[in-house]
Amino acid sequence: MTSHHPDTLSLMEYSAGTLSDPHALCIRLHLDHCPHCRSRVDALDSLGAMIVESQPREPVAAGTFDAILDRIDAEPAPGAIVMPRDPRDALHKLLDTDDLNSLPWKRQLADASVFDISDYFPEQSERVVLQKLTAGGKAPSHTHRGTETTIVLQGAFVDHSGVFNQWDFVVLDQNDTHKPVAVGHDDCISLSILSAPLKLTGTFTRLLNPFIR
Amino acid sequence: MTTLEPTAHRADSPRDPWSQLLEKVGKHQDREAFQSLFQHFGPQIKHYAIANGLPHQAEELVQEVFISIWRRSCLYDWRKAAASTWIFTIARNQRVDLLRKLRRTNKEITVETEDLWQVPGEQEDEPVTSLHRLMSERRIRESLVHLPEEQITVIAKVYMEQKSHQTVAEELDIPLGTVKSRVRLALKKLKVLLQDQKS
Ligand SMILES: [Zn+2]
Repeated sequence: MTSHHPDTLSLMEYSAGTLSDPHALCIRLHLDHCPHCRSRVDALDSLGAMIVESQPREPVAAGTFDAILDRIDAEPAPGAIVMPRDPRDALHKLLDTDDLNSLPWKRQLADASVFDISDYFPEQSERVVLQKLTAGGKAPSHTHRGTETTIVLQGAFVDHSGVFNQWDFVVLDQNDTHKPVAVGHDDCISLSILSAPLKLTGTFTRLLNPFIR
Repeated sequence: MTTLEPTAHRADSPRDPWSQLLEKVGKHQDREAFQSLFQHFGPQIKHYAIANGLPHQAEELVQEVFISIWRRSCLYDWRKAAASTWIFTIARNQRVDLLRKLRRTNKEITVETEDLWQVPGEQEDEPVTSLHRLMSERRIRESLVHLPEEQITVIAKVYMEQKSHQTVAEELDIPLGTVKSRVRLALKKLKVLLQDQKS
């Protein structure tokens, strides 16, 4: 089952703040480029606010407001200092790069390279990898043992279920065997979160599985 | 267990009282308005912290949320989000931030909470959509009152107790599929669910 947008339940977990950092990153990158999903998240955020509003209240300690005033008195007025905005998105900030193509990619197969960024998420048991497929290149046919959440960052790929363009969001599970091919002029770069290693299905099976650590 | 008081008047007016107060804080650093917001939202946020398993950090969270509201109020635009929604996302972000700090290993976290979790209306290029958002808020508020208890329970657990759908299923001892279908049903009634293929 694939979909080019995150499903509403994932957006709800995003709105509620229950996603892990890498999953939040994938959703955020999609939201940055998808007004449709942004408006769905806006609606879910209003739902969250109404849920909070419907719950009981807990009295705040007597001195808390004064403590807050003391803190704001100790800092410059809001808007007084304009911090220069870093225009890069969360992923580029995380990797501190302006160009994903220049990352230390590891070539795994003729057309496919990976760059493992799991170490950027130390609390995470899932694998977080960037995958690059050379323009026109084919990835080996594979299936997934757990779920794989992917967002296309550059270029596009096609598989049996359709075309996935930049910022498209895909979730694949063990029922999906696919054989992505990069289309267009650019190399196709995607960010994936793997809950379990991939299982190669075709003639590549005997090669070292690039997705096993 | 969960009571939903109808407070439709807040969303009905294009400028509900809380949004007006928040604008005053943003434009004039109005401390009286800030205090009114604190009196209204402070106890809600404290409960939110406790429900989310942060009883010992509840006061700290309230403080951090209001410091953040003060600092960012100049970015608030009532046309893009109701004050309650905007404050909810700030509270959520501060909660995420606090948990990240508590869990922080010696490894430096290079991505800020704010880079991952968005606050509505801070995307500069967003067109002004006040009418659309007011209608959507009113629709959600009106249909929320009519949702069956079991659907509200699962949604409240996700929002208030920081639980994934998987954990909610384990807690209520019902299959994950049932949790998901309850949420989907609820979101369908709230008309939040627009685009999903399976519903
Ligand atoms: Zn989308």
